[in-house]
Amino acid sequence: MTQGQQTESTPLVDPACYAAATAAIRAEAVRLLEAGEVTAVVGYRAGRRAGSAMPEVATTAEAAAQLIFTPGCQNNLALFLSKAKREALPKGKVAVVVKGCDLRALAGLIGESQLKRDEVHVIGVACPGVYGAGADLAKPLAAESLARKCRECKVHLPEGTDVVAGTLPPLPDLAPLEAEELARLEAMTPQERWAFWTEQFARCIRCLACRQVCPFCFCTQCLCDRNRPQAVDTSPRPAGNTAWHIVRAMHLAGRCAGCAECERVCPMDIPLNLLNRKMAQELFELYGFETTMQPQEQGALTSYRDGDDQSFIK
Amino acid sequence: MSRIGVFVCHCGENISRTVDVEKVAEAARGLLGVAHACDYKYMCSDPGQALLKKAVAEHRLDGVVVAACSPRMHEKTFRKATEQAGLNPFLCEMANIREHCSWVHEDRDEATAKAIDIVHMLVERVKRNRKLQPISVPVTKTSLVIGGGIAGIQAALDIADAGHRVVLVEREPSIGGHMAQLSETFPTLDCSQCIMTPKMVDVANHPNITLHTYSEVEEVDGYIGNFQVKIRKKARSVDMARCTGCGVCMAKCPQKKIPNSFDRDLGMRPAIYVPFPQAVPNVPVIDRVNCTWFKSGKCGVCQKVCGPGAVDYAQQDEFVVEQVGAIVVATGFNLYDISEKPKGSPIKGYGEFGHGKIPDVIDGMTFERLASASGPTGGKILRPSDGREPKQVVFVQCVGSRAREKGISYCSKICCMYTAKHTMLYKHKVHDGQAYVFFMDARTPGKGYDEFWRRSIEQEEAVYIRGMVSRLYQKGDKIVVMGSDIAVGIQVEIEADLVVLATAVQPRQGAELLAQKLGISYDQYNFYSEAHAKLRPVECATAGIYLAGACQGPKDIPDTVSQASAAAAKVMTLFAKDQLEREPIVAKVNERFCVGCFACKKVCAYGAIEEKEIRDRQGNLVKVVAYVNPGVCGGCGTCQATCPSKSVELDGYTDEQILAMIETL
Repeated sequence: MTQGQQTESTPLVDPACYAAATAAIRAEAVRLLEAGEVTAVVGYRAGRRAGSAMPEVATTAEAAAQLIFTPGCQNNLALFLSKAKREALPKGKVAVVVKGCDLRALAGLIGESQLKRDEVHVIGVACPGVYGAGADLAKPLAAESLARKCRECKVHLPEGTDVVAGTLPPLPDLAPLEAEELARLEAMTPQERWAFWTEQFARCIRCLACRQVCPFCFCTQCLCDRNRPQAVDTSPRPAGNTAWHIVRAMHLAGRCAGCAECERVCPMDIPLNLLNRKMAQELFELYGFETTMQPQEQGALTSYRDGDDQSFIK
Repeated sequence: MSRIGVFVCHCGENISRTVDVEKVAEAARGLLGVAHACDYKYMCSDPGQALLKKAVAEHRLDGVVVAACSPRMHEKTFRKATEQAGLNPFLCEMANIREHCSWVHEDRDEATAKAIDIVHMLVERVKRNRKLQPISVPVTKTSLVIGGGIAGIQAALDIADAGHRVVLVEREPSIGGHMAQLSETFPTLDCSQCIMTPKMVDVANHPNITLHTYSEVEEVDGYIGNFQVKIRKKARSVDMARCTGCGVCMAKCPQKKIPNSFDRDLGMRPAIYVPFPQAVPNVPVIDRVNCTWFKSGKCGVCQKVCGPGAVDYAQQDEFVVEQVGAIVVATGFNLYDISEKPKGSPIKGYGEFGHGKIPDVIDGMTFERLASASGPTGGKILRPSDGREPKQVVFVQCVGSRAREKGISYCSKICCMYTAKHTMLYKHKVHDGQAYVFFMDARTPGKGYDEFWRRSIEQEEAVYIRGMVSRLYQKGDKIVVMGSDIAVGIQVEIEADLVVLATAVQPRQGAELLAQKLGISYDQYNFYSEAHAKLRPVECATAGIYLAGACQGPKDIPDTVSQASAAAAKVMTLFAKDQLEREPIVAKVNERFCVGCFACKKVCAYGAIEEKEIRDRQGNLVKVVAYVNPGVCGGCGTCQATCPSKSVELDGYTDEQILAMIETL
């Protein structure tokens, strides 16, 4: 145990790899803006608190030279390219910095006609991982401060991007906490599981941060905001809360890129990504479907094949 | 406030037996927005409809709920009545308290309570119904006929004679189907070829018929009035335009020992062949499996001897796309091959009959070829094993048919009659021969049928034995038939020279695959299902698709021809108008909220969803949204279920309506 704790708190990777990625992003961003290839580069710049980072829409070479990539770069910048939020960007072709998980979201947006691949210059970044919620950003990234999603990440190195910034250092093997938690929930009886989620959803204050931060919540009129007919009770009460999170999980099934931004921004610490992982797992088991870093023509739930499992129809 | 009328039907006793209809009407009267409610014995009858029309005027109704049977039964009837009363017909809805209630429940109180709930739901739905206008779509006045047997030929000729174009698709190299294989036909014993081949020629020469032989339907898209059909023209290896049908290629082909399936493998044919001399079109086809050129790349004799240079080894399958307004399915039947147990089928086979092992145990169609003047024996009844004339022939009926324990419970309908015919043909050709028939009972409902059957016994001296056959086995050059005579109550054994089995009629192999392409339903045996067994026997439930012949169920020639002409009449009715009026129950997109993810487009089975550009006054593109082509939309509602922002809704089934219905419960 003691040994384990020591390993957990030691720096995860050499911080030099983040510096290398930062340099590569800056060089590419400056080049793109100076050459006029893009009108803006969506990336990260340093936040006010040490170790933090925030999204930046760089439209000048000077601003581009300030872009960074650090373990504090948690945001999924694909969000800025969904139609609903595109207004934040100048017109014309833009570049965007994406980690592997963000790239899956970008590919999903392309697959769902929210943007075209040639409208965007994709700067992929080799990402060893980012801080999880509640981590001490002043300290170097360690296994214990690493985001839960990054422990079992399969897309550290983006594929199919216009350029890849940085190289991937060797990464340690870490226990897949998310998968373990899912398995723990799976092992419960339906009553226990229902009790678990009821308790989680009861905390929800319906701030809708999960929706605002999700690249796939791009509807201009959310079903759950409608009042005629009202599908979901809009006040933060248990029944409406449960309905809201179930509707979101169902709408994200086969689409969620696993960036876990919803979970990170949740002020009530509801483990939302678990729901999304569960849906992804079901779709993989039923239809062999996975979200990928390449746009897909058909989603898992918008296609039909003769061999599809139909055992659930009774 | 709505003013809705509720009309509760007794359906004779069908509903009132289990549901207290007066109580339902009483409860309906108490619902918010219901201005009038009453009950009547037969609401669909003339007085019933008059009741409805009178009430609409008297109570100034703005919506109608008829609590009666399924909308599939009488929705049209009551919408018409509503329209005649001066209301928009789509303000009338059916509350199904028969199929969904009285027929499936026994407890009167519970059934009544459920009927009240159903009525309440429909009242809430009708309150939110919009007035809809019918949608007109153009009709392509061309019909596709699938199958070139007698059913397909008759339907094609009738439609073509009415002045409409017909595309006839036949899987085999020649049209004609099973009827071309028959010798003589019951109950008049006229020669099948003599009545069939002129019709085949008519098809070939008809200016309105486009014939695709050796072709199969690959894909079907679209809907009534506007189908797109992709047809695969299999490589014939002979250029249809150049071939003169002289037959030199067939004469010179060195490969002549291929069993001819047209002759039930009794005769032989070359590798380049026409299935039978009267084939239409009279253009040979190369059997690429058996042709030496295709096997080894050597030979090429047919190409060398062909004067017009029609033989083309490099020919590839071609695809033709045809636009049609209606489809007649006439794919016919197969005889049940009892020699082996079909894989993955509940049908068990008849190993004990030795069919396929004992050469002189044959099926009915093989006997037809033996009796046919153009058959492999030139019309002489000779045993396949040694070519001797059989002196004792045993016919066994109901082989497969009406045998629940073997997996088929239906009657194949034609066997009683064709077996009677076989005994006659046999007697006419072998005067000193004796025919025995094992039968369960003789089914002869048809004009002149019973007389025909009696003639086979009384004049042609066939011996009918009521009983089943348990086993057939070879003994020397005889076949021992073990059976029972239940009229006398004894076991019988007959030493026969030839045994003819009346095997069951089954749908074509792969019938279910074609049904899936067409989107039509089929029963447990893969026979295609008609829309209504009594009132719509030639239509499929899928609009614009009609059935003819044995693909729908076992049929003899007169019935097949009648049904084919009926299907043709249905097609002509459809083609009588330039525009087809269809139900306006279609999806509509809320363009304001649509974000253009096109999930709807991906799931739409009808291809009804298009991308529509929204531009501002300066012509700048604002956004791209989904647009539903109302002519193409099938009204299935899949888009509505898929749309994440619920920006597309089906008229009459909006979320608001469905939720209002649920809230009544």
